[in-house]
Amino acid sequence: MDTYLEFRGIGKSFPGVQALDDISFTVSGGRVCAILGENGAGKSTLLKILSGDIQPGAGGVYINGAEQRFTSPYQAIRSGISVIYQERQLIPAMNVMENIFLGDIPAGRAGFVDRAELRGRTQEIIDSFGLPIHPLELVGRLPVAYQQMVEIMKAYRRNSKIIAFDEPTASLTDSEISILFELIGKLRNDGKIVLYVSHRLSEIFQITDEIVVLKDGRFVKTLETRETDEQELITAMVGRDIGDTYSGLKRNDRYGETLLEVSHLETAAVHDISFELKSGEILGLSGLVGAGRTEVVRAIFGADAIISGEIKLEGKPVHFKKPGDAIAAGIALCPEDRKEQGLVLLRSIRDNITAPVLDKVRKGLFLDKKAEDEVAGDAIKKYSIKTPSSDKPVLELSGGNQQKVILGRWTSSKMVTKVLILDEPTKGIDVGTKAEVYRIVCDFARDGIGVIFISSELTEVINVADRIIVMRNGRITGEVRREEASEESVLALAMSE
Amino acid sequence: MKEGSKFLKSKMFALLVLLLLIVVFFTIASKGTFFSLVNARNILNAIVIVALLTVGAGALMISGQIDLSTGASGTMCGILMAILLVNGWPWPVAVVVALAAGGFVGAINALLINELHFQGFIATMAMASVTQGLSYALGGAASIPVDNKVVVYMGTGRIADVVPVSIIAALLIFFVYGIMLNKTKFGRSIYLVGGNPAAASLVGIDPKRISYILFINSGVLGSLAGCLFAARLKSATTTGIVSSQFAGMTAAILGGVSFGGGSGGMFGAFVGLLILNSFSNGMTLIKISPYWQTFASGALLLFALALDFSGAKKKN
Repeated sequence: MDTYLEFRGIGKSFPGVQALDDISFTVSGGRVCAILGENGAGKSTLLKILSGDIQPGAGGVYINGAEQRFTSPYQAIRSGISVIYQERQLIPAMNVMENIFLGDIPAGRAGFVDRAELRGRTQEIIDSFGLPIHPLELVGRLPVAYQQMVEIMKAYRRNSKIIAFDEPTASLTDSEISILFELIGKLRNDGKIVLYVSHRLSEIFQITDEIVVLKDGRFVKTLETRETDEQELITAMVGRDIGDTYSGLKRNDRYGETLLEVSHLETAAVHDISFELKSGEILGLSGLVGAGRTEVVRAIFGADAIISGEIKLEGKPVHFKKPGDAIAAGIALCPEDRKEQGLVLLRSIRDNITAPVLDKVRKGLFLDKKAEDEVAGDAIKKYSIKTPSSDKPVLELSGGNQQKVILGRWTSSKMVTKVLILDEPTKGIDVGTKAEVYRIVCDFARDGIGVIFISSELTEVINVADRIIVMRNGRITGEVRREEASEESVLALAMSE
Repeated sequence: MKEGSKFLKSKMFALLVLLLLIVVFFTIASKGTFFSLVNARNILNAIVIVALLTVGAGALMISGQIDLSTGASGTMCGILMAILLVNGWPWPVAVVVALAAGGFVGAINALLINELHFQGFIATMAMASVTQGLSYALGGAASIPVDNKVVVYMGTGRIADVVPVSIIAALLIFFVYGIMLNKTKFGRSIYLVGGNPAAASLVGIDPKRISYILFINSGVLGSLAGCLFAARLKSATTTGIVSSQFAGMTAAILGGVSFGGGSGGMFGAFVGLLILNSFSNGMTLIKISPYWQTFASGALLLFALALDFSGAKKKN
């Protein structure tokens, strides 16, 4: 009988988020199964459970009907599971044969490595895949695609029954992709179970046998690849109807002058970006992870170098060399990663809020603690940040309250913020606080601030933003107004080839 | 009330208790000799040189950086000053050139780290070796006499025959840097950069600028320490203050300056320095071999780190 892999009732929650909820499906040997879903649907969490990286909160993984309990990736590997991530798990300073046999290098009695044996067995594997790779080549010197081949051969050498790929084609060229697909075909013919996570629909139609669709951490359905089409898939991914978090929002209906004009912006990561933002407008920036949204706003903010193109603020051309220049001109950025880029976690709420306005809370040479406390106190009250005092280190706050500290930083009485850029402002925070953030964002717009709202959550971006620009591969692929936006239309632009 | 109980649990409180215990212990063990004005002056006098290094290293560590070259480069600057004086240069010029040389070494450190992206630990270790080598080349084997009256007075003079000038200078420097860190925009920026350079840069602070200023500062303070040391001995040698390098960093860490940056302060560093020196002074008084003193300062540092560790574990 063929091997089969079963996910049975898998659940997993992180603080404030139910990442996976009662996921059940089965894949059998000799089949390539795609796992498809929007950002945040739970695909990565599911792969991490399979690889033993994290443990499920409920349910379990079964191979041939036997439950598998992994407390570490090592155990998952021993049970015949290999997960190949986008970040390759190879040692660049070692050669191909050492990497393929990593963890199981053949050695003689005295413990010395048997190089002849190692090289011979590596060559056998390379030949069976028909690849032009030399066993002694350093992995760090191989092109990205071949590094991936080494990963696959490593999984093959381990005799893995189950091989999962996470976005394997993200950094490959077309010809490299076709080599990869040949290898995947070989794995299928050998009776392996192949899981394939990708955003690229065309690939999924090309190489998979079945497609499992996830949405908001739940299993939606399994579709036979031969019997479905793009339209059906997108509908399945978008799925259920939207709650009424959004209907109560008091939106701004009067726009002012054009605040920000970006024309033909070109950086190392994004190309030919042009758009306008009016005072009082909420402009959504959508696209899949890696589409270049963050890079666009970092360039505007003076954090990344601009190659060419023009940015105008209130009609005047501006050239921000560093974030300080942009802040002085009235542009504020709440970065994507709160903890890594937004906050100084060890420092107090007060220190984090007054950081960009230190010049305005000092008397002569010295900072004025009273003025600082006023500014911080205002923000704590305005956004009802839950804390006994402004002295508390930001480290000790919940994710939602941390996000409010950043919002408070840019909207204090000492700031003159004209353009507010929010990069994934609701990432990792609970539903209640999310609704609060939406309300705050609408308040900003009614105060005449121009807001750029970046989000990977489609429901969120099409319900909060007045207008949505969609990006893919560093370029703008389209623009939709809220009235005509649907998750399907935005997703189609984000994934279009 | 609440503030009070918070203080009782703080690390600063633990350090002050430790200092008190050391004072009480050695006062009893030395039959009272330890607890006298003369001995207090001895302790303070002994910390002057290290104090300058502690301030420079402490400020840098709060910003998340490290400088292993100050001891060696300060020694080189002391020799430079002595040579200029021997060659008949007026003392203000000799001192300023020596301080500038220290600042120059600091600037090179900052350049290696910020422009060439070398790791601070390695870059400053290399510069320590470079400046040490320059000391040998400049100074040779013999010591160079320092007999300029003004310079010697800076190192050994006393106000009203009681209070050493250099103690006043060291205390003043601690105080000024403490105020700078605590009360000024620049000081706050140092903490923000040390806590999270990426976040600091996105609120308009320039981490590079701060790095340059603090490395130059650490070089100048190291040079000042090297010159004062030469003035005290009335001669400059190639050993100089090299061995004080780690004492300065030890005091800062002992006093709560975190190695990873973003926390700690000058008061803590000063207390750390007092603990370190009271301990070794007390051990001398009760006639314990100096070899064991080095051992003890290491043990003290491990103890302070253990305090930090248990604190961090509680938070998790």
